[in-house]
Amino acid sequence: MAKTAAQPKTMESNHKVASVLSTGLFAILCVLIAFPLLAGFFASFQEGREVVMKGMSLNLDFSKMHLDNYKYLFSGNEDSRKYFMWYKNSLILTLITVVLTLLVCYFIAYGLTMYKFKLQGFLFFLVIATMCVPFEILMLPLYNEVTSLGIINTRAGVILPGLCGASTIFFFKQYMQSLPKELLDAGRIDGCTEYGISVKIMMPITKPAFASMAILCAMGSWNNMLWPMLVFRDTNKFTLQIGLNTLLTPYGNNYNLLIAGSMFGILPILIIYLIFQRYLIDGMTSGAVKG
Amino acid sequence: MNKVKKMLYSQKVAPYVFVLPFVISLLVFWLYPLISGIVMSFQDISFGGSQWVGLKHYQKLASDKFFKTAVFNSVEYMLLTLLLLIPIPMMLAVLMESRLTKAKGVWKVIMYIPALTSVVISGMLFRLMFSEGDNGQMNQLMHLLGNASIPWLKAKTTGWIALLLLCMWRWTGVNMLYFISGLKSIDTSLYESADIDGANAKQKFWYVTLPLLKPTTIYVITISVYAGLSMFLESFMLWNGNSSPKNIGLTIVGYLYKRGIEKNDMGYACAVGMVLLVIALAINVVQLVATGTFKKEEK
Amino acid sequence: MKRRKLFALFMTAAMAVSSMGMAVNVFAEEDTTEEAAESEEPAEGEPTAVTTVGPDDGTKYEMWSFVDLHNEFYGKMVEKWNEENPDKQIQITFSTYPYSDMHNKLMMSLQAGSGAPDLCDIEIGQFPNYSGDDSPLYSMNDALAPYEDTMVQSRLDVYSKADGTRLGVPFHVGATVMYWNADLLESYGLDYKSVKTWDDYTKLGEELKEASNGEVYLTSVDTGGVDWMWLAMAENGEDWTGGPDGTVNVQLDSVKEMLTMQQNWLNDGIAMVSTDGHVDLEAGFSNIMDGKIASFPKAMWYMSRFKDYMPEMEGKYDITTCPVFEEGQKCSVGIGGTGTVVTNQCENPELAAEWLAWAKCSEEGENLIWNELGFDVCNTALWSDEAFAYDESNTYNTFFRVKPYEVLNELAENDAIGTIYTTKNSPTLNDYMCTTTLNNVLEDGMDVEEALQDAQDYLDFECE
Repeated sequence: MAKTAAQPKTMESNHKVASVLSTGLFAILCVLIAFPLLAGFFASFQEGREVVMKGMSLNLDFSKMHLDNYKYLFSGNEDSRKYFMWYKNSLILTLITVVLTLLVCYFIAYGLTMYKFKLQGFLFFLVIATMCVPFEILMLPLYNEVTSLGIINTRAGVILPGLCGASTIFFFKQYMQSLPKELLDAGRIDGCTEYGISVKIMMPITKPAFASMAILCAMGSWNNMLWPMLVFRDTNKFTLQIGLNTLLTPYGNNYNLLIAGSMFGILPILIIYLIFQRYLIDGMTSGAVKG
Repeated sequence: MNKVKKMLYSQKVAPYVFVLPFVISLLVFWLYPLISGIVMSFQDISFGGSQWVGLKHYQKLASDKFFKTAVFNSVEYMLLTLLLLIPIPMMLAVLMESRLTKAKGVWKVIMYIPALTSVVISGMLFRLMFSEGDNGQMNQLMHLLGNASIPWLKAKTTGWIALLLLCMWRWTGVNMLYFISGLKSIDTSLYESADIDGANAKQKFWYVTLPLLKPTTIYVITISVYAGLSMFLESFMLWNGNSSPKNIGLTIVGYLYKRGIEKNDMGYACAVGMVLLVIALAINVVQLVATGTFKKEEK
Repeated sequence: MKRRKLFALFMTAAMAVSSMGMAVNVFAEEDTTEEAAESEEPAEGEPTAVTTVGPDDGTKYEMWSFVDLHNEFYGKMVEKWNEENPDKQIQITFSTYPYSDMHNKLMMSLQAGSGAPDLCDIEIGQFPNYSGDDSPLYSMNDALAPYEDTMVQSRLDVYSKADGTRLGVPFHVGATVMYWNADLLESYGLDYKSVKTWDDYTKLGEELKEASNGEVYLTSVDTGGVDWMWLAMAENGEDWTGGPDGTVNVQLDSVKEMLTMQQNWLNDGIAMVSTDGHVDLEAGFSNIMDGKIASFPKAMWYMSRFKDYMPEMEGKYDITTCPVFEEGQKCSVGIGGTGTVVTNQCENPELAAEWLAWAKCSEEGENLIWNELGFDVCNTALWSDEAFAYDESNTYNTFFRVKPYEVLNELAENDAIGTIYTTKNSPTLNDYMCTTTLNNVLEDGMDVEEALQDAQDYLDFECE
């Protein structure tokens, strides 16, 4: 709009007012959203016991804040070593889960979207059906099954059952539907195989979907607790979420470590988000149709 | 050998190769446990083995008042979250992607952060914020407004305000991300031609943005219906366990968990799960048929 | 164009990592057992968070708990055992899980028939799930035989099958006593020591209200816990579970009396409703520390909360027996606890059971339990043992205005500790009370009879 030279001046100033309003709205919203986390962030510099007993007060007393919790976290003592072992476990598990899930789901969605075949509709119905079954119903039979497959207490046991995530497939499919199918024929004419097309031509333009799914999948995996908890049996295989939860016991909760550790535990996922959101924002503008 | 290879590479077979992992995973990690679950809902499960009890669990469900509370809560929660978590994030996404908003990157980053936080910490943060003691932030806010402290989590209305705020806090950013992703896939030339046709912002939203956001919207609605109906963790986090005062936070999955895990009544729990399955499936199928998602494939 | 390359690069890298990850991390792990763990760790110099105690040639066991401190305790007991029994060396690998997850996992693995630990802690509320006729636990009868006579019988009973087979070994009695903020009450010139009955208690509450201008409540009543109800039932010799094979009945006089009394306290401003439901939570500690409440009944193990969360209260609090409805009644009840068990998936259950009974019932074990965990131990032979019970080096003997075992011995002399059973109906019963009935009565002021009738209707439906 702004580019058109003939715009009257009132529109310009209207535009400015709207711009201030809209930016202001997001600013206020973000302050509200950040509030609980900021409170938690400040709490991580306070004596944990104090925080939990007195509540997270609105009146911050900066003189009482200290780095002790974080010093303890990085001290290299037994608690700290445990914490970073859980941390490492979570990182590895999340990385493997994200990469495998994205690849597997991409190809499944590709097959479901880019071709016409007999079972297509039925399979798509099944994708949706799997989304509608609460995990808790499947939990006990699934646990039995994983045990008898011999993958209990392994990463495979945690990852495999959730590998073909229905929501991820669904999202890829919805995304690919809006992509031009002519590209496939163009690829075939160029002599690409069906699989080559899916990797070389379609995958690059599905980038934004990969980016959003990477974030969501990493988030899900990083924060997942119920199932890994059932599968892993050794403390040294625990993920961060399970580990943090073990700090809450009926005989003294280690709040210092819990609050500081939780705050520090947000970091990796935050970093992944910060990296991938760029791809997302670039979006379709760098897509193949135009290029 | 070559024949096999050729066949594998043919356009007819390729889709089946693509969907093969899904079919395997479906059979092994979904269908088998699901059938076991269905079978178990007609059985009493104990350490020694299982015993057929026919429709006993389902008959009991029909007159179980906690189950009714749970279903009611879950459905209510689903409807409320649909009302809150579809239009608001969609509007925010449109605003965010418009030229009006400055410093987009900053807002997007911040709005998404809640979804990244762990279950342990976000539950604790909200529980402390809505603490019924005088020191919780919400009660301090009440004091600033000249009101007395409120036992937030002990009554349905105030408890649900906390629950819905927690839900919005965690998921508004995520849903906004979905919609932004959807907006990105809309060809900008459509807006340009709308401009040429003299459409105003409102018209462009109704006639270009909204229809083209349909696939994204369907996706978000589908996952929201399921997420709403199977909500458990949010309530579990907020009430620090599965027991809330007068069961204001009891959901279907919460009840299933309580039955299957806490009370070791796996058969009954599976029956609860089957009801959830039927409800969710019915709503989703109706929704998808109504929005015409299946039609494309059937043609 | 550049971006596309970047992305392709990333995807290639990701695929490479994934295939490596699959090869190295996933499948290397499939041969899970000790060899893998052992060969991996020293090489990478990784810390071992799973604590394994004992020599490699000892009989190997796996043990789970939901409390880290318990595992530390067991670890010490393994070392002592190995010192004393060179011919019966054992090695135990300990894992600590979050409370509910550990119980879920235990349940699943026992139902699945594999994957369960050899030894495990089970919380008392969960115990009925494992003590039915088809119990998957190993009988502790033989192992416990040497200690049977001196152990508090009711504590062994709660971890037994209906036919009397012992299944679990207890940590503590959990005798309920009255904790008083003596400092606070004395500052108002009030005498709490002469309180014998609930009438006396109520009167003291009125005096306190007047003296403090209503700022200090005598106590806080629980909407999220049934301790008060248990105490009332034990005093009147009733039990709402109806005993091991009984039918549930909540319309008991003791329950009605207690609830009515509590409702009156609330109406008269003598008591408050416990913040967040009961006093064993941070908000409760805060009320105690701030002097908002002057007394509350709780089990002996609550002493450790004072040490861990309220060290400032040292010297201020006193412990006495609880008030009763009529003099001569029992005035305490065992609440809470952990039964430690040997599962039927254990390959050498005999030795495991022998060690377990020794660790939790012998003098060596009880010493550690009292001094480090701060529990009122179940081996009554030790209660009057001067060196064991009254040693000044024990924190609890100097923290309170009384030595805890003095109160315990007073209870023992009068045989004043009652028992309320935990049965298969208990989880349903407690759940209904804590979510519904207590809230209805204490928060909303519902009629006691009506609320209990409601509860009974539901429980009749539920417990068949």
